[in-house]
Amino acid sequence: MPPASRPLRIVGLCVALASFGLACAAPHAQEAQAPISVEDATGRTVVLTKVPRRIVPIFASNAELVSALGLMDQIVGVEDYTRFPPELTQKPKIGGRLGFSVDAIAALKPDLVIVTPARQAMHQLIDPMTRIGVPVLVLLARDVDEVLSNLRLVGKATGIPERGEAVASALEQRLTTVAARKGTRCPSVVMITGKLGNGLVLVARSDTYTGDAIVRAGGCHALERSVVAHVSPEAVIASDPDVLLFAGRQEDLDLLKQQPGWKLLRAIKEGRAHMVSRAEFLIPGPRTIDGIEKLADLLRHDAS
Amino acid sequence: MKGRFITLGMSLLLAVAFGVVAGHEWASPARILKALGGADDMGSQLLLSWRLPRVAASALVGALLGLGGAIFQGVFRNPLAEPYLLGASGGAAIGASIALLVPMGLPEAPLLAALSFLGALGATWLVLAIAGLHRRPDVAGLLLAGVAVAAMLGALRSFLMLALSDDSMNLQVVLSWTLGGIQTPSPTGLALLAGLVIISLLASLSLAHGLDLLGLGDEQAFAFGLNPARFERWAVLTGAAIVAAGVAFGGLVAFVGLIAPHIGRWFVGPRHALLLPASALIGAALVAVCDGIARSALPPAEIPLGLITALVGGPFFLFLLSRRFRT
Repeated sequence: MPPASRPLRIVGLCVALASFGLACAAPHAQEAQAPISVEDATGRTVVLTKVPRRIVPIFASNAELVSALGLMDQIVGVEDYTRFPPELTQKPKIGGRLGFSVDAIAALKPDLVIVTPARQAMHQLIDPMTRIGVPVLVLLARDVDEVLSNLRLVGKATGIPERGEAVASALEQRLTTVAARKGTRCPSVVMITGKLGNGLVLVARSDTYTGDAIVRAGGCHALERSVVAHVSPEAVIASDPDVLLFAGRQEDLDLLKQQPGWKLLRAIKEGRAHMVSRAEFLIPGPRTIDGIEKLADLLRHDAS
Repeated sequence: MKGRFITLGMSLLLAVAFGVVAGHEWASPARILKALGGADDMGSQLLLSWRLPRVAASALVGALLGLGGAIFQGVFRNPLAEPYLLGASGGAAIGASIALLVPMGLPEAPLLAALSFLGALGATWLVLAIAGLHRRPDVAGLLLAGVAVAAMLGALRSFLMLALSDDSMNLQVVLSWTLGGIQTPSPTGLALLAGLVIISLLASLSLAHGLDLLGLGDEQAFAFGLNPARFERWAVLTGAAIVAAGVAFGGLVAFVGLIAPHIGRWFVGPRHALLLPASALIGAALVAVCDGIARSALPPAEIPLGLITALVGGPFFLFLLSRRFRT
């Protein structure tokens, strides 16, 4: 390569970058300027050299967070189980059912991948993505506050920190309203999130965001903290909660009621066994707040 | 010999008593007596309608595994044989995956039991059919066929688990089943299980003489009028059916089928007419105790039963292996 051509190339590149930057910046006047640097849930510093325009949010929760910020158009790929908002089911799939495809993600030319440490996603993706220069933002959802702060974090990473702040504060406002209406009595609650093949049940533990959501809605946990989420039905029945919640389908709740021992529960005898939405309590996104509001109404209704 | 059976019977009673006392909350003998006396408070009713059937089911499942193990070790004349050796566990797990993950509109509990039973029996039958394609299978051929079939079924199971699970039906549903665990049966289920144990005991006792003869070597057995090839196949299928019944009610409970016959031999010697019932009693006691530990170690969580039996059985298996290496 002739040495004289290098300055020209650099100038050319600068012009191209500048015009690209102008083109991008024009419709998003409020956006922060690249590079953007944020710290993710694992303490990694994620640097985005330009404002991301092609986002791959992995897992339903992360796709919902991005969509809630009005960035659905910028989502270029999702995993198999992402079904909300429904438009996202039309987006290209990057795997999920049988692992995640690094190739499929790379082919979408993303400039931001958002993951949560589940189903090996982090383990399979961070290293290869980082190698090809795609920033990976890791989000956790250990309690409801963290779900909201994820909105702020994604807002910041995508160059729209004000919008992230606005969406998160609006949701916080709704939580404050729920908290203000809480009754004095705290009904004891067990939320079953699944029934296992060996007869055990999965319950929402108090130290998860789902457990936090129950408390925010005005419930108290009937079960002491469990080391694992696989709980003996005997322990659930013996805890005899005021309210039994079942995150799943009505027919599965009906089946559960017929299993040995379950008839003994006050909540079942007195009609306080309710179905709740899995999406609202098991996908740590903005819909969690809908779930908390509905559950708060339900608990207040049961108490009256 | 009678005294030894009394000892075994007492051990089983103690194990069952432990199983009834153990749980997320330990029940005092006084509370248990109160419940048996018909008290109608919730704790008592829970003991009667949930814990007692569960303990009974665990002992019965253990008996089936003990019987199955004794038959397999007798047929293979190998102390390391165990009832899952010929693919029964892989086959059962496929049946269970289908029952748990494919919506069929049928009640889950009987469907799970039926499909895992068919899977376990079907896999063993497949191994026998493959190994016996041309001539009488030698033990090594049978075992190798078993290993190969088990590997294929294991992969197929994993694929089914990944392909059929979704956000509401997650992998844990099947995985937990493969780790074993007694489901508290309905009264009908418990009666059915008890009936199966009686039939299994009678069926295995009918094999006792043949298993003894087989132990003398093929030629001797033949001289005593036994057709070893036919008998082996029949005995393996019977053993597999017995184990499949246990798996249908308790998932994949590891190692009990291996340990119970060994302890049985220490107590009553190698004659199968005694060894088979002894293995059933020991298997029953082992599973009742392990299930009690599973329910009480980390309340309110329950540890999958197969993990407890494997944690006890693993060291035992290694001990046997090291002794074998030494001789």
